[in-house]
Amino acid sequence: MAEEKFNFTKAYQEIEEINKWFQKEDIDLDEALKKYKRGMELVKKCKERLQNTENTFEEIKQKYSREE
Amino acid sequence: MSETEKIFTVFEFVNSINNFLITQKAIVQGEIGEKISCYPNYNIFYLLDKEQEAMFKCFIWNNKLDALGVELKPGLEIKVGGFPELVKKRGDFTFHVEKIGLVGEGILKQAFEALKKKLFQAGFFDITRKKPLPRFCQKIGVITSQYGRGALPDFKKHLGGYGFQIYVYDARVEGLTAIDDITEAIRWLNENMPDIDVLVLVRGGGNWESLRAFNSEIVAKAIYSSKIPIICGVGHETDETIADYVSDVRASTPTDAARILSDPWRLVTAQINGFEKHLISSIIKLFKYVKEKAESFEKDLIFKFKSVLGSQNIKIDRLFQNLIRDKDYWVEQIKKILKQEEEKLGLSNPVLKLKQGYTMTVDELGQIIKDPAKLKISQTIKTKFYKGQIYSEVKRV
Repeated sequence: MAEEKFNFTKAYQEIEEINKWFQKEDIDLDEALKKYKRGMELVKKCKERLQNTENTFEEIKQKYSREE
Repeated sequence: MSETEKIFTVFEFVNSINNFLITQKAIVQGEIGEKISCYPNYNIFYLLDKEQEAMFKCFIWNNKLDALGVELKPGLEIKVGGFPELVKKRGDFTFHVEKIGLVGEGILKQAFEALKKKLFQAGFFDITRKKPLPRFCQKIGVITSQYGRGALPDFKKHLGGYGFQIYVYDARVEGLTAIDDITEAIRWLNENMPDIDVLVLVRGGGNWESLRAFNSEIVAKAIYSSKIPIICGVGHETDETIADYVSDVRASTPTDAARILSDPWRLVTAQINGFEKHLISSIIKLFKYVKEKAESFEKDLIFKFKSVLGSQNIKIDRLFQNLIRDKDYWVEQIKKILKQEEEKLGLSNPVLKLKQGYTMTVDELGQIIKDPAKLKISQTIKTKFYKGQIYSEVKRV
């Protein structure tokens, strides 16, 4: 699953860092373009993840014997 | 005796009886008798029924005693789970105790306070050793009873839909098997599903006796040694258990545990949109700035070029011939001019000025102060340095 490869926490942290970077005074244009592209790509992925709202449930069957 | 009759040796018979007895598992409640014999690895005591005058001998290994929470004492009301056996060497009937627990609120409270003090001193409740939850939990292992009326439905109901993957491990949360069930669940999930983000141990509220497992040292140790962080949410807000204290995050109820996990997701949607807007506006601003710089540079260059032509006072076509002939030379010259211009522009950048050691002073509104006569006494002004800034108050103008 593609979803498993994508780590939301890491992506979100990277977006936060990129935003912080854009608040600097001296900005290099090449770097800015790269960061912008990366930031928008991550925003898109995070938004996609946020649209996936369905929870999945799985019961863990255990062989562990219960006495009582 | 006929030849077909089976004749046992004593050893065989005891074995055969024990094979049957071991299947007769039971839980028995009673009072501990006067005589308790403690050996290095095991203990022998009697379980009494005072009202109906009955008793039997009990055998328990030392390591099973931890579950009791207090020392074996005559008169203590307890529950034991195990099986009967005939001890080969002595011919004694003995109840082999596998599980043991206190009965009665008073003694349970006493055990609770004693254990709380012990674990506190051992550092089990230290904030510094609590494992932080991941910022956004996705894989959740829930340890609870599937037959419980409230805990699991409440947890599911308040979790919200954020694409959680929930693994429910069914465990007894009360009764004599609860301690083993919960401990095994924590161990199993740590071993077999180490990539789970968080474990949630929940159950509904209850009295001292039904919360016994949550106040046991064995469960406390299992929570303490779990590599996966654990949220504990027991019953109603007033219920406080040892498990709550040891867990990495204490939730007041199963509902609260669900909220702790879903809140970060709830907030992040709005934040992502804000970040996106900021990114777009930053890049637009940057483009605008670059465009303006390029335009002014272009104008300046045309002007310079014309003045070069004028001062040389050379015919255009000859110039072009020269230009074509000395193409490389002119390219070099233009490059030089471009470089000079770039440097000039760079020098007018305030940041560069600051870098050279100049400072800049602004008023509260951020306006650059060029004329101190406009300042008032006691007004706060800000002076920017290349690295950082200071605030000062006007004393004299």
